[in-house]
Amino acid sequence: MEQNRGNMYLLTGLILGIAMGMIYAWVISPVTEVDTHPNLLRDDYKDIYRSLVSRAYLANNNLPRAEARLELIGDDDPALALAAQAQRFLAENGDNEMAKVLANLSAALQTSAGPAATPAPPTRTANSEEGTSGTSSSENNDQETASSTREPTSEVPTSPTPSPTSSPPFILQDSSPICDPTLGETLIQITATDGSGEGVPGITMEISLGVDPTEIFYTGLKPELGLGYADYLAEPGLTYQLEVPESGLVIADIEVPTCLTESGDSYWGSWEVYITHPN
Amino acid sequence: MSRWTLFILILLLGLGLGLVYGWVINPVSYQDTTLDSLRIDYKTDYTLMVAEIYHQEGDLDWALNRLTLLEDKSPLISVENALKFASQAEYTLPDMFLLRDLHNAIKEID
Repeated sequence: MEQNRGNMYLLTGLILGIAMGMIYAWVISPVTEVDTHPNLLRDDYKDIYRSLVSRAYLANNNLPRAEARLELIGDDDPALALAAQAQRFLAENGDNEMAKVLANLSAALQTSAGPAATPAPPTRTANSEEGTSGTSSSENNDQETASSTREPTSEVPTSPTPSPTSSPPFILQDSSPICDPTLGETLIQITATDGSGEGVPGITMEISLGVDPTEIFYTGLKPELGLGYADYLAEPGLTYQLEVPESGLVIADIEVPTCLTESGDSYWGSWEVYITHPN
Repeated sequence: MSRWTLFILILLLGLGLGLVYGWVINPVSYQDTTLDSLRIDYKTDYTLMVAEIYHQEGDLDWALNRLTLLEDKSPLISVENALKFASQAEYTLPDMFLLRDLHNAIKEID
């Protein structure tokens, strides 16, 4: 019995010492993290990093450099991450300018990864899978990526990235209601294509309800649905007006249609708009 | 050896084991770091991005604001550190010029 008491107090001392050591090492004086990698950044700092990369791309027009920088953040699909951030910025703080800069780089990445086909009207549906990004790349070889970030030698920046919207004005190709029960949402879907039928990202769309303030959104923020695709969640019973300000194009009387299933049940449909550059 | 001496020795042994475990074997894992903890090459590239944007847009207030996130003693020191590393790592001349321009612009108002 005496012997057991002796062993127990030694064990108690050991456990107490270990506990004190761990509390000190984890809570009181944890390892100070220095020399970290951008993929360990907190989400809001990753947003700042992506924004900087996008603005720098606008300044130097150096896509390989932008790609290398984005790779450091470790997003599975940098183009989608940029588009998602642009949408978040629009929704949270209405930062249209920054959203457009992010969308611009997202679109450039999509384009460099291969053209995302935008099907011609009227066969297109919103839940089609064509044009899915192929830019995923998130290897994190520290030294390699750190050096590759500056490796693609840029010349001194001269002019901003040419905007895809500086082309001839868009004309309306089609504007009509669609009944597709698989959509599940009442959307105004816009597809902007160039003369060759390729989607055009970064086109500013303004949608308004009579005297209500205009909301702004851009094509290319959902690259998985096509580079020239944009949509807006519409309310049934309201009449919208869509404007493409850079082309002076106004499309009025857009409404959520009432549709019927084969069994005669009614549901809310969507509206699709196709705009294109004249050949 | 008295029981108290033995107890203290065992306690110190445990303390040492706890520290080794907490600092070396299983240290606190950092997932949500800030920009100031970035390695010098990443900080330099961050600064270079600010310099590229400043060169294009000329907005020094914005550039200072972004550099402040690196939490060095001052934005000027951030750019000086970037210049030193860029020189050691043999950045291209155009990139060096961009950093130098930003450095000069900050120095003028400092």
